[in-house]
Amino acid sequence: MSARQLSFAAVVMAAAVIASGACAQTAARPDLTGSWERYRGPAGDPANPPPEAAAPPLKGDLLVEWEERRAAAREADARGEPAASNVTHCIPDGVPSMMNGPFPFEILQGATQINIAQEAYSQIRRIYLDKPQLTLDDIELGFYGRSVGKWQGDTLVVDTIGIKEYVRFRDVPHTPDMRVTERFRLVTPDILWDEITITDPAVLDKPWTVTFAYRRMPDYEIIEYVCEDNREYADEEGVTRLRTGQ
Amino acid sequence: MARNTQLAIAGLLLGGSLSAWGHHSFAIFDHTQTHTLKGTVVSFQWTNPHGYLELDVAEGPKGIAHYTVELTSINMLRRAGWKSSDVHAGDEVTAIVAPLLNGDPGGLLLELKVPDGRTLVPPVPGINTFTKTPSP
Repeated sequence: MSARQLSFAAVVMAAAVIASGACAQTAARPDLTGSWERYRGPAGDPANPPPEAAAPPLKGDLLVEWEERRAAAREADARGEPAASNVTHCIPDGVPSMMNGPFPFEILQGATQINIAQEAYSQIRRIYLDKPQLTLDDIELGFYGRSVGKWQGDTLVVDTIGIKEYVRFRDVPHTPDMRVTERFRLVTPDILWDEITITDPAVLDKPWTVTFAYRRMPDYEIIEYVCEDNREYADEEGVTRLRTGQ
Repeated sequence: MARNTQLAIAGLLLGGSLSAWGHHSFAIFDHTQTHTLKGTVVSFQWTNPHGYLELDVAEGPKGIAHYTVELTSINMLRRAGWKSSDVHAGDEVTAIVAPLLNGDPGGLLLELKVPDGRTLVPPVPGINTFTKTPSP
């Protein structure tokens, strides 16, 4: 074999290796398109996510205040006077609470963008793939922030910043600097995990991770949801009431 | 927009005390007793975040002539097989509800018997935490 032939063969082999690598990468990338809902399997089911910590790793006084608010909420519920919440006012949950359920959501997976549409309140988040994240100076704070994502093998890693301070997950306070990192991964062909890690050094002692599991819902079509007429309202004390009468 | 809502949103914007647990509470309803209402449907409202049934009461708790019945989200109802056409104005129905704890004439629907003989059960989260009792 001549040097030229050897060189050509090497190029062909390299191309084949690159091609097979690309195929392997593509094959490892799951298709998440479809409808999903929270999954809670029986005890011992390996599809269940890791158990959560009892409390978020808030810094000292913030943790005490969070526990006091939580106790007050339980007492208000026991009195039959639950405090009005964002949902009383038709205000959506935002990121990451919208991943909590209980309503289903839909993932639309494209090559350059993935959208997640939560049925409740018709919430939509857009994840831009392989784009750099912006700085907070270039983002207006909102409910869903700005999300960029990239595939790491079979795992979709999503970085979100720019969440308004009062858009809280489990009533945990945060600053505008909060960063939400999610790792989406199929643990079985039809069970998806979203490992959510929140970092915000001003309020958290360490990153706070919560993982949700979802079940694929074949053939389920998301139903529209408009918060059209909530007769539950907050009275002057902030207590939930129901407006009766026509 | 109602004034209360404006106030609450203003409170949110100012970092106020409105809770943000991101879920709906059924704590305004009595979990220890139910009312059974027989009456005529005035309207069946197919909306989110809740459906509503307005009922003129023929038989029910003493002194109550009209009742506002709250249902779950219509998305939940739809997934459970309900349709907006299941109930019509003028229908004679029997509703079992968890009454409001504050005594107002309203409650949460737990069961509805419609004229075609079907008994419809809404998918209330934690429905087993409500105790059904004879109507007072």
